[in-house]
Amino acid sequence: MLSSERRSFFRFFSIYLGSTFILFLLATFIFYDYQKYQIIEIQNTELNIEAERITQRLRQLNQTFTQELTYPYKNPFDSAIYNIDKEYIFGSFTPKNILWDKEYYQDENKLYHMHPLYPYYLGASHLIISKEINQEPIDNLLKMSILFLLIAGIFFTLLGLLLGRLFIAPMKESIERMNKFIEDTTHEFNTPISTILTNIELIDTVYDCEGKQELKRIEIASKTLSRLYEDLTYLKLNHNYHREIESISISNLLENRIEYFNTLIESKELKVTQQIEQGIVFDIDKNDAIRLIDNILSNAIKYNQKEGNLEIILNSKNFIVRNSGLGIRKEDINLIQNRFKRANTSEGGFGIGLDIISQVVERYNFKFTINSIYNKSTEVEILWKK
Amino acid sequence: MEKVIIKSLLIGTFIITSSNAEVPTIIQNNCLACHTKQKIPSELIYRRYLLKYSTNEKIKESLFGYLKNPKKETSIMPKQFFLKFPEKAALDLNDTALSESIDVYLEYFDVKKKLVLP
Repeated sequence: MLSSERRSFFRFFSIYLGSTFILFLLATFIFYDYQKYQIIEIQNTELNIEAERITQRLRQLNQTFTQELTYPYKNPFDSAIYNIDKEYIFGSFTPKNILWDKEYYQDENKLYHMHPLYPYYLGASHLIISKEINQEPIDNLLKMSILFLLIAGIFFTLLGLLLGRLFIAPMKESIERMNKFIEDTTHEFNTPISTILTNIELIDTVYDCEGKQELKRIEIASKTLSRLYEDLTYLKLNHNYHREIESISISNLLENRIEYFNTLIESKELKVTQQIEQGIVFDIDKNDAIRLIDNILSNAIKYNQKEGNLEIILNSKNFIVRNSGLGIRKEDINLIQNRFKRANTSEGGFGIGLDIISQVVERYNFKFTINSIYNKSTEVEILWKK
Repeated sequence: MEKVIIKSLLIGTFIITSSNAEVPTIIQNNCLACHTKQKIPSELIYRRYLLKYSTNEKIKESLFGYLKNPKKETSIMPKQFFLKFPEKAALDLNDTALSESIDVYLEYFDVKKKLVLP
């Protein structure tokens, strides 16, 4: 799966799964809350039945009114009676913070039931009865709710995976078709470009002919085509390309690549300043390193002014290429790193250069920054940060 | 049937009140002397007040008003009660003495003192 496909897939998947999860969480919470209310309601009914029993006993006590009145206490129910002024008369406990206007309420792990009395047997107008809440059915309900969420989560994750694949299928097909086209095109490019470059070199070396300037132009054009071929092949094969990580002298490689671009530099009559520290070595795939350096140099040359400056700095900390070129608008800096996006169309190219640079930088955990002043200069920095 | 209940309650009350040795003098003189003599159940009256008014403050207010100006219509007892017992005459007590007597009466019958846990 390509990174763009993966991105689209994960975006769809996270939106789908996130919204489904929120919906189910909400539904489960409402269900749990309602069921818990029902459980508490049942336990309140038990309290109400006991309150009725106590009321009957109070009525009997009020009738007999013997010297000693035995309060109808029955374990596990605690109860107390209050007069109409809400003053405590008697009981097996003295509850605190009574909510007089509630039929029942919870306080910590106890359930309280308020039972109004009339007539006022033994002067009592309120009977408060309490019992420890039976947590078992509530715990079971919670377990059931979590289990339901888990099962629903697994089911909708699987469904999401299936839907996600269906969702990205058309995009995948388009990308595959495009890649196939690039593959076929680049394949057809390779042989003629190689032939042109070999023969230019041969003419330049063996024959002392006129028209050196024209030959150089052909060489530049052919090298540009060659790089495009290399870049397109790199992008096409990037996700399944087998890398050979080896210790590469970046210093030597950079010098070679500058030499490779020499014809192009000369044609633009650029003033090149080099500060290349020797012995900079990294464990990197050679093709990755070439693509990184080539694309940075190529852009710096291509988008430079004629007779402009080109400053190349390499040290153990970073690699900087600075030109006195066209510059990039501030709002375009982030956009140009996307594939096929170009801030300036005055020069040839597909807009894949910065995409390749970004991929290499990401793969090796380097840091990549572009600083540009529009119409003045552009500085590209690769920070060799691990 | 109602008469039978009232009778048995009166007898029960009389026995209780008679057997209670700790009856305060003020109640004995101002209340129970007549109540015992005429077999009028003072404890039953207290219970009826309790059933209707719930708190000692409200009972006292109502009882005070009744004792100052006793009438069948304002009595806590049912009309049938007066078929058996005579209508009460107004007490010859000043307000302070009457108030004090009611306080002692309510204290004497106070339900809080009677209630115990099993």
